[in-house]
Amino acid sequence: MNAVASTRAGSNAGWIVFALVAVTTASIVAAALLGVADISHNDIMAVLKGNGSDEARAIILDIRLPRIVTGVLAGIHFALAGFLLQAITRNPLADPSLMGISQGATLSVTTFLMFTVYIFQPGSNTLAELPVAWLPAAGLAGGLLAGGIIYLLAFRLGLSAMRITLCGVAVGAVLHAIAIGLIAGWGSARIEIILEWLSGSLYARTWDHALFLLPFTIAGLLMLPVIYRPLRLLHFDATVAQSFGLAYRRQFSIVLVVVCMLASSAVGAVGPLVFVGLIVPHMAKFIAGRNFVLSLALTIGLGAIVVTLGDLIGRLLGQAEEIPIGVVTAIVGVPLLLALLRKTT
Amino acid sequence: MPLSCSNVSVAYGERKALNQFGLSLEQGEIRALIGPNGSGKSTALHALAGLIRPVEGRVLLGETPVATLSRRALAKKLAFLPQQPAAPDELTVAQLVRQGRYPHVGLFRSYDSTDEKAIDWALESTGLGGLADRSLNELSGGERQRAWISAALAQEAAILLLDEPTSFLDIGYQVEVLDLIHRLSREKGVTIVMAIHDINQAIAVSDRISLLEKGRLRFDGLPEDLAGSGLIQDIFRVRGRFVQVAADSPPHFDVELARWQRPMV
Repeated sequence: MNAVASTRAGSNAGWIVFALVAVTTASIVAAALLGVADISHNDIMAVLKGNGSDEARAIILDIRLPRIVTGVLAGIHFALAGFLLQAITRNPLADPSLMGISQGATLSVTTFLMFTVYIFQPGSNTLAELPVAWLPAAGLAGGLLAGGIIYLLAFRLGLSAMRITLCGVAVGAVLHAIAIGLIAGWGSARIEIILEWLSGSLYARTWDHALFLLPFTIAGLLMLPVIYRPLRLLHFDATVAQSFGLAYRRQFSIVLVVVCMLASSAVGAVGPLVFVGLIVPHMAKFIAGRNFVLSLALTIGLGAIVVTLGDLIGRLLGQAEEIPIGVVTAIVGVPLLLALLRKTT
Repeated sequence: MPLSCSNVSVAYGERKALNQFGLSLEQGEIRALIGPNGSGKSTALHALAGLIRPVEGRVLLGETPVATLSRRALAKKLAFLPQQPAAPDELTVAQLVRQGRYPHVGLFRSYDSTDEKAIDWALESTGLGGLADRSLNELSGGERQRAWISAALAQEAAILLLDEPTSFLDIGYQVEVLDLIHRLSREKGVTIVMAIHDINQAIAVSDRISLLEKGRLRFDGLPEDLAGSGLIQDIFRVRGRFVQVAADSPPHFDVELARWQRPMV
């Protein structure tokens, strides 16, 4: 497929994929080895072989690994959702966290926490006592709902790519305002809990979170071959794409559903990680150039790497009071985006 | 009749952009759609391409209503090139032309030798063989227009609809595009409908001409008959006359410009 396109990048593609796999592995290993709790390397090796002390086992298997896996999956979700959204809206600044999907998830999580905390557990005061197991599902529902609203609004107005983007931003702003209003009105000590979730955090993520995300990751990746060719045509004006034989509205909707599914499940699990969905596709395209398949592959790999390393940096810099990953990606992301924009234009 | 329509009206809100428009094409003919700005040429092409649903009337591809066909089935038979189409900047000519094969390969089938041959033929017949790996944003206006025509050719559709394929091109590229259109019609039997502004080019290249005014069809017939009708002067509100430049050349419309004297000092 795409013989002509890959001839230029073709000779490099093998090396790029090799480097991608190597860096991904290295960052996952580093994230497993390094951390605030001091465990000797021998101990870690022992754990990986199935032995090791109870303490080391607990830290590696129950704390670090689920956190890493959740981060990797969420990174893939955000990056891929951003890539797809930028393609179908033909807007290089499109990002699920700017276009309502994250805000929808935020609002539903906020509402959910508020009601469950007030109604069912009025005494609870810490994150651990909250019904956190339900947060991903609540986020997912809210994100899908917001995606649905955006789609319906844009559909009514004529479904042009620009309108979808603007509708998304507008709907997102409204939902965000409502969520912030609720939080402000909530006004108890528990505000910290919601604020931590809002900044996007991998703190205290368990295997449950990873297992929650996994089916969506698999479904999203399995959809890629199905949407691959339509995705290329969705880069064009609707009339052009239709003239090339694309059922534009149907294919647009299918990709949008995949985006909502990936983004809202990830927001539900780890909170809105701003900039991952925006920056990673740009990094991938910068490296891959015109090779579309490679830029898709790089988006997936870099999504995993960026979140894993971002979380590691946050853990190491913050020590016991770790910096949430969402803060790290935002701080590192902005200058990176500016640099990429300068180079590509 | 490869493509025809009757009593087709298209409305944008209150305004009727096309009013009871009818057209029937012969296989392999070149049909020019002419008319003033806003007369409905582009709307007529969109309706023929099944991109706008008419409020009344219908478009038939052979015997089949266009509205009942899937986009893919339609794209195998009919290619449409809108006015000034936009593509992602970094796309190469070859990548653009490959998209023309989508109706044939669909979601999963891999490109085989038939597809590669169609792509090569589309690139060669538009003279783009040497530019295949260039990005579209590196091309001149004429080259870009040819790349788009090439993508439409790769569809191997028997009907080609072109919305002002020569606008924004210099005279050299205009002639190149018109020659290509003529060759496709005569050598490959492709049926072509194009909206075009230059009346002399329309008369020179087309077999029949449809003249539109305010969404209504005012003339449908041979170029020579249009020349004798006086409709051009009337509808375009210009002074001028048709002249015979050479014995075997088509009628040429010669406009008469206003002439002003310098004031006497």
